[in-house]
Amino acid sequence: MSTDYILYALMALTLIGLALIMIERRVYRIIIYTAVFSLIISGIYLVLGSPDVAMAEAAIGAYAIIFMIVMAEKYYKRDRVDENGKKKPPVKIPKGTASVPQILLGLVFVGGLAVLFFHFAPTGIEANIELRTDYLLLSGEQVGGQNVIGAILMAYRLYDTLFEALLLVIAIMAVSHLSWLGKDYITEGRRSDIQKDKVAFYSIRIISPLILMFGIYLVANGHISAGGGFQGGLAIACFFICRYMIHNIYDMPVKKVLKMEEIVFMALVVVAVLTIFVGSDWVPYQHTVLFQNFQLIVANSLVGVKVACGFFILFYRYITIERSEKVE
Amino acid sequence: MFGMATIEFFAIALFFIAIFGLVTSNNAIKSIVFMTILNAAVITFWIGIGAREGTLPPIMETPYHIYMIGEMSDPVPQALMITAIVIGFSVTAINIIMMNTLFRRYKTSDWKSLYKMMREETAGSGQVLSDIVFDKDDSVEEGAK
Repeated sequence: MSTDYILYALMALTLIGLALIMIERRVYRIIIYTAVFSLIISGIYLVLGSPDVAMAEAAIGAYAIIFMIVMAEKYYKRDRVDENGKKKPPVKIPKGTASVPQILLGLVFVGGLAVLFFHFAPTGIEANIELRTDYLLLSGEQVGGQNVIGAILMAYRLYDTLFEALLLVIAIMAVSHLSWLGKDYITEGRRSDIQKDKVAFYSIRIISPLILMFGIYLVANGHISAGGGFQGGLAIACFFICRYMIHNIYDMPVKKVLKMEEIVFMALVVVAVLTIFVGSDWVPYQHTVLFQNFQLIVANSLVGVKVACGFFILFYRYITIERSEKVE
Repeated sequence: MFGMATIEFFAIALFFIAIFGLVTSNNAIKSIVFMTILNAAVITFWIGIGAREGTLPPIMETPYHIYMIGEMSDPVPQALMITAIVIGFSVTAINIIMMNTLFRRYKTSDWKSLYKMMREETAGSGQVLSDIVFDKDDSVEEGAK
């Protein structure tokens, strides 16, 4: 089958990307190779028939993580000044990446792990097909919507989604706690570098409303086709990065966003509790055409707004770190 | 190979290569990158298991699609892997901010010199290494702006 050849080609590309990441010494190139790696592996997910996972992996791996690492890297580049005000050389990974004994030790360690794994790994496990068949057959009837993954995420396993949103909140709290710089630092007075480049500036200004529209489309159509709350929320948060690049950061209503995130999270908890007591029939007139997928749309929108707010705050913290300067 | 489909074997190989990279990398940024690759390898494994029966996306666009569920991939691991992706992202965010804290204190992201400086600092006192990472060095107790 032709799908197999595409799969083999993508696997080979992934391995090449991995080798490039291992050999490379310059940090910016490592970051770019990582983005390319994430895109290729999301292609593998797409070929294997999981467009939702592919979308999430592409969005997370190719822009969210990359944005954060670039922000950290820019901070390194800027902060390297010693006591006399002299500039230090930029961060570079030491030559040869790893010494020979280190590589040998790593090979022995990983080889031992692999031998142990293949010795004890049970072979020929059958996947549980009954659950799969049940979800595929009954989700349209029991929950509604055409996207079975959306039905599982937002109705059958809503508490998994709730836990995931909670984990994102904890990550945001940890990042805010660890990134607090103290009174010696100020964070105002710097603008993003892209404003020097007129072409990039205006093209981002044209594209950014389209990105917002795409995010809203993904959230609103999450029950019909691939997409949903997380992917749409990520796209909406990408709109925030565009705004950061074209405007000054401090026109952002951060406190309102924090408040909104709290409210949306409580609403999500209320929806989850409602589904326990009333089943998924808590929506009146659910079986009329107009309200048929009402519950899925509500849950998708809540998760979308929640994820967008969470990523907004995370990116805001990273931008704050990147812009901070020590007061003399 | 080893009684597995090619994609599952590939995912396990990716996992071990990522562990090898994690062990031999000298720089904190490289370690974080290999952590994300480790996460991607696990996700690839589960997606590969889900695609044993078929590789059609589990989306019922028309009522006719109900006759094609035999060729569809498994929706359960896919739904769980979306959760795993977001959790992996949270882990990466905290990793990067911890690396940032270390950098602000020691002005390097090279593991060897980091360990050297941290050992020198903790030699006399009864501190352990993790005390340094979570210590807000010169902060004032006041909510983040």
